[in-house]
Amino acid sequence: MNAIIDPRSIQADSTSAVGGLAIRHVHKGFDIDGRKLSVLEDVSLTIAPGQFVSIVGASGCGKSTLLRLIAGLERQDSGDILLDGVPVAGPGLDRGLIFQDHRLFPWLTVEQNVLLALSNSDEAATDKRARVATLLTLVGLDGFAQAFPHQLSGGMAQRAAIARALAPQPQVLLLDEPLGALDALTRLRLQSELQRIWLTQRSTMIMVTHDVDEALFLGDVIVVMQPGRIARILHVPSAHPRDRADPALTPLKAEILSLLHAG
Amino acid sequence: MMRSTLQQRLLPLLVPGLILATWLAATSGDDFTAQVLVPPVAVLDSFNELLASGELTDHLRASLSRLLLGFGIGSGLGLGFGILLARSALVNDFAGPFFQAVRQVPSIAFLPMLILLLGVDEGFKLAIVAKAAFFPVALATHDAVKGISKGWLEVAAIYRLSPLRVLFRLILPATVPPVLTGLRLGLTRAWIVLVAAELMAAENGIGQMMEMGRQMFRIDTVMVGVALTGLIGFALDQGVRLAERRLVRWKAV
Repeated sequence: MNAIIDPRSIQADSTSAVGGLAIRHVHKGFDIDGRKLSVLEDVSLTIAPGQFVSIVGASGCGKSTLLRLIAGLERQDSGDILLDGVPVAGPGLDRGLIFQDHRLFPWLTVEQNVLLALSNSDEAATDKRARVATLLTLVGLDGFAQAFPHQLSGGMAQRAAIARALAPQPQVLLLDEPLGALDALTRLRLQSELQRIWLTQRSTMIMVTHDVDEALFLGDVIVVMQPGRIARILHVPSAHPRDRADPALTPLKAEILSLLHAG
Repeated sequence: MMRSTLQQRLLPLLVPGLILATWLAATSGDDFTAQVLVPPVAVLDSFNELLASGELTDHLRASLSRLLLGFGIGSGLGLGFGILLARSALVNDFAGPFFQAVRQVPSIAFLPMLILLLGVDEGFKLAIVAKAAFFPVALATHDAVKGISKGWLEVAAIYRLSPLRVLFRLILPATVPPVLTGLRLGLTRAWIVLVAAELMAAENGIGQMMEMGRQMFRIDTVMVGVALTGLIGFALDQGVRLAERRLVRWKAV
């Protein structure tokens, strides 16, 4: 599905490079039954503006926690997280977050759900609605503005969640296993959609996944995590849009898989 | 297969129709005297008589105003207490188990004590109606507030929704449907308990009308009361159901 849209209407200001992240010596632990369980140990990572970064790792390696720290939903025990040089303190509209479950409000229509993300915008109501319409076109949900979430398939609901996350025009879009709950076919299709959206938006995107193919198809940079730490950072040389069968990806895949098995 | 609307409308009338037919058949012969089993026509006559004299209207007004006041007090307190119970660990530790224990006692079991404490005037009837409404409403409110998903609250945090927006876009829509169900249960229970209380001690009201009928051996009056109690309870239940349906149109049917 390739929706025809005018990229200029949604593209963020691409001349200024914003959305760069610096993660410095971050530690994070949780208290579980009175015992301190360390989830991230001395994690450092630099992400350039506009990059697509895939974070792969086994369940429980701390990848989702890292994303939640960047989103400001959790606070690190020590270390710094800087967005364009400014320390992250709590959630902000400069960072969008897409969860594995769509988390749309079931009592609001698709349009109302996306509008909610624009609550803090000073735009006129008609401008907001126009923007929502453009976003729904971008994610391929034309004609579903007035639908309620229960009327959508899992893939469509996740598209709506993507539109909602893009609405405030975040400099960084965080994706926490966004396609993890979808069937294989929908998943492949939405991977291509995500790539197209990223090429249109050119904002920084950081996606957590445990699907190595997905990570390689979308990421410029692959961060491989082993429990609590970053095992390796790999750069993918292929340009976007990418061919899934690109032979350059094969050795990278082998390397990632061996790292994941070692962890 | 879709049920036809005709079927939907006619089937609910089948059982009452059968009962009415059996009743008619039973009273048409000489097997029962009219003092034991009144014929349906006598009940209808009695209803018309009570309505024409204005007696019935007075009883209904008395009962319904008690219901409104008692239910208002009980459900209001139930709403507040349910929110406190869900939000405050202290209140939960303090009052939770007691609340769960008192909830198990039928409202009617409190009647003798309440009459001793508050006398046979309006006080005990309002108290028992309020008690009957309080528990289902408090329980539903507690569960509704507990049921607000952490995931939705995170969404609200991410989009920096103002407290007012969180209230109107998240808290109320998430809690109103289950609370309405609690209100509906509370309202019908309050009605049942009120009629029972009026049967025991009252100067007027639909329950008192039935009790007087029983003492005077006017079974026709008693049956008017029984039918009206059922119909009013049914109407109250359906009324809140209608409100529920209007407010939760977003739900899958």
